[in-house]
Amino acid sequence: MAATFASKCSRVGRSLWGGLGNNLSGLLSASHETACNHFLSQQRTFIQMRTVLKVVDNSGAKKVMCIQALKGKKGARLGDTIIASVKEAYPNGKVKKGKVVYGVVVRAAMQRGRCDGSEVKFDDNAVVLVDKQGQPIGTRVFGPVPHELRQKKHVKILSLAGHIA
Amino acid sequence: MALSTSRTLLRSFASLSPFARCSNSTSYGDSLWSSEPRAIFKALLQEWKLGFPSLSRALYCSTADFKKNELLELQEVEKVLSDVRADNVKVIPVQKHCAWADFMVIATGRSTWHVKNIAQALIYKVKQKQKGAQRLMLPSVEGQEGGKWIVIDSGKVVVHALDEKARDYYSLESLWTTGTSEKEPIQDLEKALVKIRRKNNSKKQAKKSA
Repeated sequence: MAATFASKCSRVGRSLWGGLGNNLSGLLSASHETACNHFLSQQRTFIQMRTVLKVVDNSGAKKVMCIQALKGKKGARLGDTIIASVKEAYPNGKVKKGKVVYGVVVRAAMQRGRCDGSEVKFDDNAVVLVDKQGQPIGTRVFGPVPHELRQKKHVKILSLAGHIA
Repeated sequence: MALSTSRTLLRSFASLSPFARCSNSTSYGDSLWSSEPRAIFKALLQEWKLGFPSLSRALYCSTADFKKNELLELQEVEKVLSDVRADNVKVIPVQKHCAWADFMVIATGRSTWHVKNIAQALIYKVKQKQKGAQRLMLPSVEGQEGGKWIVIDSGKVVVHALDEKARDYYSLESLWTTGTSEKEPIQDLEKALVKIRRKNNSKKQAKKSA
């Protein structure tokens, strides 16, 4: 799905490559009309305590649950760092279930405004695990990542990513 | 006549400056502040003709064309790295698959102190280049405290200073030299849509319809 930036709002769909290609792209475009109304009326908010996020690097974890958003009273947004607990992990990976890790939010369902007036939002909430100094634990990042990471000084994650929205 | 229009345009430019500061990439050079009034006038005229689309982005792009001074040029980076005696310097042109950078430079340091020194030397070079300017535009540096992987982002050129272990662990060259091959899996979607008849390996005897 190509990322198109409209003037007000832009949607970047879930990344289909990476071996998850079970979604039929034909079906999606047909049901887009009916789903569109539902999506437009849903209000997406911040990433806060108890939010489950997907892990999109090869560090070994699959799902983490946010336990603290480091900046922001209401919660974390795209490009922020969070503290999370690993809830699901691959059997032989660098992190195990139950470990407390830091992560950088690379995809968020809540829209984030860019300074030229457009907004960007994704289909899911995804995070890349880092250590306390900001070094990514994994070596590759899957799926699209936004440009906002450059401004937030996460150039390392940008350079490990394959596709930049 | 021309002078008065240039002055009014400059005033409107001054009012635009808070927007310009919030622009996405801080490292696109200091062209706004140190360029001549004529360059600003030309840029604003272009803006005006286009009907004021998006303020700061077009302004950055147009002034960057007129005065090409980046924070760090490729030759300067190579010279600094050879002065500091960094090992295994590799320059990878990534214009084709990276929209946000033109060159990636990877250098190895022998120890954490050496890696930090490489970063310091590059920043010193940038400061020297901008001697006498009113404002110093420094490139963004990440990873300075732990000396394992330091990234210096100066717009077009991104310099990665790693130590030996980190270089082997992340293997950045394999990422960018084969960057285009990651786009290929999209084509497999067409195969995924084809309906395949299930194989019938059951030993049960088929019904003989009378």
